[in-house]
Amino acid sequence: MSAEALRQALAALGIHGSVEARGALAILTLNGAGASLRDPELRAKAVALASEHGFTNLALEVSDSPGEGAALHRD
Amino acid sequence: MDVTLETEHAADARRKEEALAGWLRERSPVLLGFSGGVDSAYLGCIAVQALGREQVLAVIGRSPSYPAVQWATAREVAERVGLPILEIDTHEMDDPRYAANPTNRCYFCKSELWTLLERVATERGFTTILDGANADDRTDWRPGAKAAGEHSVRSPLAEVGLTKAEIRYLSRAHGLPTWAKPSSPCLSSRLPYGTPVTAPRLRQVERAEEALRQLGVLGDLRVRHHDDLARVEMDRRELDEWLEPARLAALRDAVARAGFERVALDLRGFRSGSLNVLGGVSAA
Repeated sequence: MSAEALRQALAALGIHGSVEARGALAILTLNGAGASLRDPELRAKAVALASEHGFTNLALEVSDSPGEGAALHRD
Repeated sequence: MDVTLETEHAADARRKEEALAGWLRERSPVLLGFSGGVDSAYLGCIAVQALGREQVLAVIGRSPSYPAVQWATAREVAERVGLPILEIDTHEMDDPRYAANPTNRCYFCKSELWTLLERVATERGFTTILDGANADDRTDWRPGAKAAGEHSVRSPLAEVGLTKAEIRYLSRAHGLPTWAKPSSPCLSSRLPYGTPVTAPRLRQVERAEEALRQLGVLGDLRVRHHDDLARVEMDRRELDEWLEPARLAALRDAVARAGFERVALDLRGFRSGSLNVLGGVSAA
């Protein structure tokens, strides 16, 4: 289970950010430009990737500063 | 929520309901552990219809792990189906074995509840104690069922083979307001195993979920407590809408006001028993 490996795999999907591991939970914080997680297909791919990397859950952290977390720039 | 059943399955559900009524008549009078959720509301309704209200008593166990909004719903539902109720306080939070939040936490809670109900049954002359477990409940990790067995609590819905889908279908046919109600297990289920169950943590979860309901989150909803971080699980169909930036910001603010420093939205959506999966006690 590697947060860094998952981060790289997500980046390859167009989802750019940092990944923090808390046991089997992966917490994703978006860092700006990137694909929109409102797309159910992309979301499913991201969750599947997390699973492939040994995480049971992938959660998007919602930052209080615009441009991070909540900012889904292609929306 | 779609609760339609194929004609054949609907007939099967109705046959099971008749079997349930017969089962209850053979074991009357009955005392029912009542949460006001889908299963116990349906069971209470059928029990009153089959036995008459003098032969049924529904007991609501109150504790900090039981959301206040659910008490209100339970009372409302009981009144609607003419179900007599008794409210008692349970003290599982005072049991260190429960408060330590082991994987079999539910066992200690249910032991407390069923011990109290046994006392009520003896004092008031009820023959059979019932819970609302259904046929689907046998598939997940449910240590509370062990406590039920130790106290001779019967699960008629499960015994006649009624599944959750069938109970929802039949509930709607009876006009019960609970037919589309999301499942609502106790608030302690939002804490990962090993995180001590405390009244302040439960209040945080309760406040966060209540705030999200007020914001308009529909369907299944859980705020999972990971210390400083709240992980929100909601119905997958709701996710598209709540990932919209303005709504996401509103969600974050609502949850943060309940006392969480960090807020995250689970991208897989709601999963019953999600913390069982995270804790490694059931399959992903």
